[in-house]
Amino acid sequence: MAAITTTPGAHHDDADPNASFLEKKGLMSWLVTLDHKRIGIMYLISVTIAFLLGGIFALLVRAELFTRGQTLFDADTYNKMFSLHGVVMVFLFIIPSIPAGLGNIMLPVQLGTKDVAFPRLNLLSLYIYWFGAVFGLYSMINGGVDTGWTFYTPYASSDPAHGGVGSATSVIPMTLAAFIMGFSSILTGVNFIATVHKMRAPGLTWRRLTLFTWALYATSIIQILATPVLAITLLLLTMERFLGLGIFDPRLGGDPVLYQHFFWFYSHPAVYIMIVPGMGVVSDILATFSRREPVGYMAIAASSLGLALLGFLVWGHHLFVAGMSEWATMVFSALTFLVAIPSGVKVFNWVATLYKGSISLQSPMLWALSFVFLFTIGGLTGLFLGMLAVDVHLHDTYFVVAHFHYVMVGGTVMGFVGGLHYWWPKFTGKMYEEGLARIGWFLVFIGFNVTFIAQFIMGSRGMPRRYYDYLPQYEIFHQVSTIGSWILGLGFLVLLVMFIRSLMNGKPAPRNPWGSAALEWLTPTPPPTFNFVKDPVLTRGQYDYQLATDDELYEGFDDPLFPGLRGGKAPAKKAAAEGDHG
Amino acid sequence: MATQTPAHPHKDDGAVHAHISSTAFYVGVFLALIALTILTVGQSYVDLGRMNLIVVILIATTKASLVVTFFMHLRYDNKFNALIFVSCLFFIGVFFAYTLNDTERRGELDADQNVKVLPKTGEDAPGGFVQPTPAAAGGEHGATPASSGAAPAAH
Amino acid sequence: MSSEATAAADAHDDHGHGHHGPKWLAHHFDTPAQQFDAAKLGMWVFLAQELLFFSGLFVAYGVYRSWYPEMFFAASHQLDKIMGGANTVVLLFSSFTAAMAVRSAQLGKQKATGNFILITIVCACFFLVVKYLEYTHKIHAGLLPGRYFHPHAEHLVAGAPALPANAGSFFGIYFMMTGIHGIHVIIGIGVLIWVWIRNNRGEFSKEYFTPVDIVALYWHLVDLVWIYLFPLLYLV
Repeated sequence: MAAITTTPGAHHDDADPNASFLEKKGLMSWLVTLDHKRIGIMYLISVTIAFLLGGIFALLVRAELFTRGQTLFDADTYNKMFSLHGVVMVFLFIIPSIPAGLGNIMLPVQLGTKDVAFPRLNLLSLYIYWFGAVFGLYSMINGGVDTGWTFYTPYASSDPAHGGVGSATSVIPMTLAAFIMGFSSILTGVNFIATVHKMRAPGLTWRRLTLFTWALYATSIIQILATPVLAITLLLLTMERFLGLGIFDPRLGGDPVLYQHFFWFYSHPAVYIMIVPGMGVVSDILATFSRREPVGYMAIAASSLGLALLGFLVWGHHLFVAGMSEWATMVFSALTFLVAIPSGVKVFNWVATLYKGSISLQSPMLWALSFVFLFTIGGLTGLFLGMLAVDVHLHDTYFVVAHFHYVMVGGTVMGFVGGLHYWWPKFTGKMYEEGLARIGWFLVFIGFNVTFIAQFIMGSRGMPRRYYDYLPQYEIFHQVSTIGSWILGLGFLVLLVMFIRSLMNGKPAPRNPWGSAALEWLTPTPPPTFNFVKDPVLTRGQYDYQLATDDELYEGFDDPLFPGLRGGKAPAKKAAAEGDHG
Repeated sequence: MATQTPAHPHKDDGAVHAHISSTAFYVGVFLALIALTILTVGQSYVDLGRMNLIVVILIATTKASLVVTFFMHLRYDNKFNALIFVSCLFFIGVFFAYTLNDTERRGELDADQNVKVLPKTGEDAPGGFVQPTPAAAGGEHGATPASSGAAPAAH
Repeated sequence: MSSEATAAADAHDDHGHGHHGPKWLAHHFDTPAQQFDAAKLGMWVFLAQELLFFSGLFVAYGVYRSWYPEMFFAASHQLDKIMGGANTVVLLFSSFTAAMAVRSAQLGKQKATGNFILITIVCACFFLVVKYLEYTHKIHAGLLPGRYFHPHAEHLVAGAPALPANAGSFFGIYFMMTGIHGIHVIIGIGVLIWVWIRNNRGEFSKEYFTPVDIVALYWHLVDLVWIYLFPLLYLV
């Protein structure tokens, strides 16, 4: 009486469609594939390269700040380093990481469908991303940018080549890179919305979607509504720099604060493009490793949509000290506090899910728990910054830097790496070394906190962000922070080695290594090209552990709490299960 | 089409059912659009002052509604597609309202509270608040004392 | 509880993953309706992002018009209402023919569909020609964006209000709005040609006319944006 009628390993006369999606070899089989899993893997490889590149920039920035004055390079290079760190991490890594990488691989599997609604569009979005990345690389080779990732006007828009007074660096290729990659993000959003609406397996009602799917759905809404505004903003910026439109440049009668409105109308919602998918990953991991349905399932799902909506109403808190009207600052400040509600709903529900759950602390769970812990710090410090009077003091200090790194790294990156650990066995078919994974997690967790707690302290004491030099009283904090960044970098290096070792000679992964009741664990590992051997029909929710059969839960799963008790029981049950489904 | 067995009970027969309007109906919509275009061009020769913009936008919105409802079949389409369209207009409204909420009201509080900042440079005024144009300002703040006439926003 | 579901799954498995149904039904869809609905939904979502893309320009327009109403008044007198009006009529007509093309496709009239698409393409080209004439005149008269704004008195409209020094901002917005709209027209011509060719090959039928419908939706959006651009730029 399996509740989800997918039978792994069922016999088929035609063996071909059930072969693993990784079966086909050769570069072309990847470059022209329409398989969402392969596209997702190519995205994962691309964003990992971007992450390493952005990480190198970050380490260089931290190293330069190790001592006062010049340590490694001059101030102009320093400006480029932190700008490139921001641009690469935001546009090339974080935004596509979970939705286009992990989401592409898992969304159709979690929906029980063969592919996303528009597979060609999906491949196109990857090529657009690469095309944008080429522009970004061109800009970097051409000297990079020193505007910060926000490209604020008039510095970014006023070109000295045309008699302006702004940045002389390679701004136009970089803004075009972000412009182009925006379309990749939009197409992914279009695809996911149509997929979630129209491609769900029979029986997979909205209330049975995984929370990861809900999160991706909410993210897609933001991608659709916010990213085009970034596109037009960057286009206007490019044209302002190129033709002097007179929209953002005050010397031509424009208004630089208007640029900030335009930019943050996208970029604040973009914060939720980054964090909401991470929340989805964490919701799934917490459910699996607590072995129970998430508490407040609908509340978590609704709060994802709530964040998507509220994200559009608060962008002005980036402009509190920019000369915006006082009335607008008050409205934006009040609305900013509303964001705490859906965030709080999530955190409380996650913690409640752990309560009386049968928790196993395997590596994906360690990342998920880190997410909850670090995101809470990141979220709560956000409230300080949303407070008008406090923000005047903290604006543009390291406090802000630490705050958004706690959200972006403590949140999104923890979610991303956690999701990578969680689904890795499913889409590669290989297990990784748990010991090495835990060492990596420990180093990242410690390194991250050392790096950024120091920044919270020096920020609250007045150390401004983006400065090349600093006063003696900040030296100790900068040095602690830099040492933390080395630990952090070492941690990611360990993880990289761990994943490569897994690919080279990892043990073959069983169908359901974590004992999860969700749909993606009921298909073979790695899944066939069309994801399922039989089109699944759901008769229970994906978190209904009480309705799942032993066979569904325990094939390949050796419960770490009771080793040997249930593991290894699967082969015998499998035959019975097949008989059950005919 | 034997293979088109309805595998999913919630879908009817799985075939596409689209509403088809008559030619005469489309011609009617088109003529209405032309009439509205003539109306809006004609109106531009009559100065209605501040009402100009409102009239123009009203006419344009009527035309846009005709196109969306009938040419784009939103009237007969899936309700969710209409929801997408309407919510996208809502977000455009948010974008407009909040941005104008800043650009229209910059410097108001400073003016009301007689903040001692030079509007031109943003620096503290050495000897107190300097009125840039004492005679012209103060129209909207007639109730406040004469000393706190509105400073022009710094755009 | 699961017996019904199992039966459904078995029924489904009978035709398994093998390609079934008409040629135009993609492998990952179960029914034509699912494919059609997904395409329509995807297109509407895409149109939503198009509207937000243009919204940035409209917000910039709103801000500057509210700050400098006299400048906008003076500058808009330099635009040719007749040319703009003619273009509006042409675009509205092309929108009408696009709607008629969809209607013909829904009825399975291949020839009529092709003809209506062709008329739409011709209208689009006419629009671009008029736009080209307008742009040439603006460039001649020095009515260019911001930094390049150097009006030549002899080319300006006689009797129009004097242009303030910051009228370059208006022409910045004008060229961005109409330019991006023009790029959409060009893309529209491209996709219209694409469905015209596919229609000639006889790929569409009463059962499958999704691409015609989708492309027409896109074309209506181009029209929709122009419906606002015309009065906002030319008439106020």
